[in-house]
Amino acid sequence: MSKKITTTGTALSLAVAAAVIGMASSAQANEMRWNGYVENATYHREGTGLSKFRNTAQATFSKDFDSQGDWNLSMRGVLRGSYDGVYDLNKGEFGKNAQESYLGANWHGQDTSTAILAPGVPFPCENDPTLCRNLDGYMDHKERDAKFPEFNSKADFLREFYVDAVKDLDSGGQLAFRVGRQQVVWGKTDLFRVLDVLNPVDYSRHNIYDELEDIRIPQWMINAEWRMGPTSVFDDSNLSLVWNVDKFRPNNLGTCGQSYRILDAGCFFSSRVMGLDQIPGAAFGGTNPYSASGVPIIHSVDEPSWALKNTQLGVKWEGVYKDLTFSLNALTYRQQLPSLHFRELAPGVPLPATDGVFDIKFPRVNLVGGSVDYYAAGIDSILRLETTYTKGEELPRDQNGHKETDMFRYVLGVDKNQMIPWLNPRRAFLISAQVFGEHILDHESDMPNFKDNWTGTLLFKGWWMNDRLSPQIVMAHDFRADASVFAPSVEWLANDQLKFTLGANIKRGGKERFPWSVAEGLAGDSSGQTEPLARFTNGPIGVANKENEIQFTVRYNF
Amino acid sequence: MFKKALISIAISGLLTSTSVLAVSEQDIENSFFPYKSSLPAAAGIQVGMVINQSNWEVAKEVLDPAMLEQVKLGNYEIRVGETTSFDLHPNYIQATREQASQAQLGAKPGEISGTSAGRPFPAEPSAQDPRAGEKLAWNYKYGYNWGDSAAIMPFYWKYRNMATGQVERTIKFNFHFLNFTRRVNQEPKPAIEPNPSELFRATYVQALEPADVRDTQLLIQRFEDDSKLDNAYLYLGFQRRVRRLSTGQVTDAFLGSDIMIEDFEGYNGRISDMNWDYKGTRYMLMPFFNHNDLELATDMPAESDGYQFVDFTGQGGCFPKITWQLRKVYEVEAKPVDENHPVSRRVHYMDAQTFTIPRTNVYDRSGNLWKAWVIGQAHPDHHLPINKGSGVAIDDAFTMIDVQAQHCTTGQFKGIVDPSLTPPSKMNVQNLRASGR
Repeated sequence: MSKKITTTGTALSLAVAAAVIGMASSAQANEMRWNGYVENATYHREGTGLSKFRNTAQATFSKDFDSQGDWNLSMRGVLRGSYDGVYDLNKGEFGKNAQESYLGANWHGQDTSTAILAPGVPFPCENDPTLCRNLDGYMDHKERDAKFPEFNSKADFLREFYVDAVKDLDSGGQLAFRVGRQQVVWGKTDLFRVLDVLNPVDYSRHNIYDELEDIRIPQWMINAEWRMGPTSVFDDSNLSLVWNVDKFRPNNLGTCGQSYRILDAGCFFSSRVMGLDQIPGAAFGGTNPYSASGVPIIHSVDEPSWALKNTQLGVKWEGVYKDLTFSLNALTYRQQLPSLHFRELAPGVPLPATDGVFDIKFPRVNLVGGSVDYYAAGIDSILRLETTYTKGEELPRDQNGHKETDMFRYVLGVDKNQMIPWLNPRRAFLISAQVFGEHILDHESDMPNFKDNWTGTLLFKGWWMNDRLSPQIVMAHDFRADASVFAPSVEWLANDQLKFTLGANIKRGGKERFPWSVAEGLAGDSSGQTEPLARFTNGPIGVANKENEIQFTVRYNF
Repeated sequence: MFKKALISIAISGLLTSTSVLAVSEQDIENSFFPYKSSLPAAAGIQVGMVINQSNWEVAKEVLDPAMLEQVKLGNYEIRVGETTSFDLHPNYIQATREQASQAQLGAKPGEISGTSAGRPFPAEPSAQDPRAGEKLAWNYKYGYNWGDSAAIMPFYWKYRNMATGQVERTIKFNFHFLNFTRRVNQEPKPAIEPNPSELFRATYVQALEPADVRDTQLLIQRFEDDSKLDNAYLYLGFQRRVRRLSTGQVTDAFLGSDIMIEDFEGYNGRISDMNWDYKGTRYMLMPFFNHNDLELATDMPAESDGYQFVDFTGQGGCFPKITWQLRKVYEVEAKPVDENHPVSRRVHYMDAQTFTIPRTNVYDRSGNLWKAWVIGQAHPDHHLPINKGSGVAIDDAFTMIDVQAQHCTTGQFKGIVDPSLTPPSKMNVQNLRASGR
């Protein structure tokens, strides 16, 4: 891990902690409130065995301070620590020694591409110094980091820690600041994110399926709000400015060897291209420069250092106008998914450099978007619309590694509470459906992502026994990838403290293939391949097609 | 002759329902001070007596059928207290006086004009008036229920198995109420501005405990225009997002309790959602009492000011340990306009002096008794010191008994009439986000 990150994070932590302690000593102390939970999550994966044995303790504390002049002050923090025993209990499948027979064995069969690409090296920093050095700063976790994900140099055990300062204005509005490590949530969608991109996300916890609250990676931010309240036109109006002053952190996709690694990207990053040393030397005008050990997929990670110009800034105006609640958003940030920049052996030569095929970059992205909620009385349903337009995103492609393109995303959601008397005459069911659409404006034929794609989600949830028993079904379908997930679960509150959840997560898909020019160049195979590009075509649902699980969670709240 | 009489009654009914009738000072006195000259009396009912399974027949004429049945079954004993006057705030009475005779119903249910403060129809309801029930509903809607604003902090709800007495869940809330218009006591008067959508009232609910509902918040905004559907918003702590609520959710069990959002305060919906039918006026035993004179709960979390909550007793702990007093009551039946409504009718027993709804019986779609709803009213001068002189009948203890499921939800209030606890900034969508995580 980068020492720079440690230094920056620690300095910020200390600054905010000092401010809080200063306030606490200068203000009359009010009672500190504490609550939290301990939890065990045990998941069993078909054909693999134990896939999660996570034991978590989380504590939330908050405190109000006496007013300082015109300002009302309070603070809040969330501490979380967890140990995932799967790396001790199922070492054959997960951990530093969990070697796969070929790259992508966890989601597809073998073909030409898997003969060219070496299996991913699990936890490369424990097995391969070269790959570890190349991945320095990103996806370079050690097994210990996976076992204890919060206890790292970025102090991730401090999930949240912020100070709120609110001042009532003579106009009836309020001026408010929230300073510290926090989650800032934009948008109105479930499961997938469109506007909700201020915090990166840790997909290594449980792919896309955990609550976003638990997998957003909190950032040190300053959130300023001018809550205007009602005006002569709007029933409510709020202008907020979010400045993410933290060092940039990308999404955590899961290091090779972890039990959840979205798109199986972690293993691809710790793979190598093999067989380039077999190209006749004549093709190079003499000697083949490649070694038999292959070329690492990743050469280096260009993670933006902390600098003022690398900070991220967002502005949102939201309000209520008659029956509409709306927001208009703008954000300049960094792409949270890695963009792979191809490194040529020599200018104009379509072969990779000998010391690594790609550099990982996180380009600057500018986003504008908005959201609307509307109650449609005719169908007694809530309609939700959310949309974004971005400039600066980079998507993978076969020939040139990547391409910058504008992107248009949108979500239409419908929520309805429906009585179904023959199922439950006393309580309505929640039916929530969403369609996510994505349009790539500068699409190329060698892009594995579809120019237009849609993912539909459906939530069907009921309640019995005065809401102490709640079964639900979550379904999602990626239309172009023809990949689906079906996740039924039932939650039982034994009492106010103790909750049991039993669920399943069943997926299908992962059949899409995408041609890879390297397979054609080295082996003359122009047919669709599984690696490396089809992971994008199949998406997070399809790539996890062999991750059917039974999941049991018990949580005790205190 | 018979035909003429019919026409005459029809015309008189039509006139009574839509035209403005003169309201006298005596009407206002009778409306706000019904016990000034004499106290109610009923055969066999005496202050200090206990009505239980052994003598339930004595209360046949003064208890509603659902409560009488509970006494008859031995599930509850009713202690009879002295009838006391719950005088509403003088400013509310004065506003009624100033606008007397001006309120007028429109052509359709839910339409009203000529009233901007006070009780719109202070005159005695007439059995000949086909819209008398609707007028009483307006008196309730525009009543001084929680005054211009108030808070319940905290507010404990317990979900109880009536058969076993097991407390299945305990939920701790804060509730806030604010009138945007028709304000008579707290500044600003008569209305809070700006108010572009012409809101009449808002209710804000914040769940504090237990963990699975912590940070859940609900905001209901009601419009002056009764034909407009309420705007309702829900904030779920784990989602950290504000979501709109559909109206379907206001007739659903709120957080799994035995209570719908539409049940709040007796009835929490539009006038135009119901067909209202005035059934008559009578003296009945109603849950009105002095909080400070009760034997209060000792098993509740301590309040820093020493406040104690109303205790619960009876079968399954489903009944408030309070006293009941004979009071003048208007019986009003409300039938939902929507045929898909989960309720076929509610029978409200409105207190004539305060126009609160301390007793309601709820019937399911088959017409069978489903739930009995009790909201105990405490006199403000015998409650928290800050409530003294507020002229607000303090909602102090409730029970909603699902007689079919043998289950109940009970509520223990700490009602505080203090405008500083409920500023207008608490009643907008931003507050949900700001108060959430």
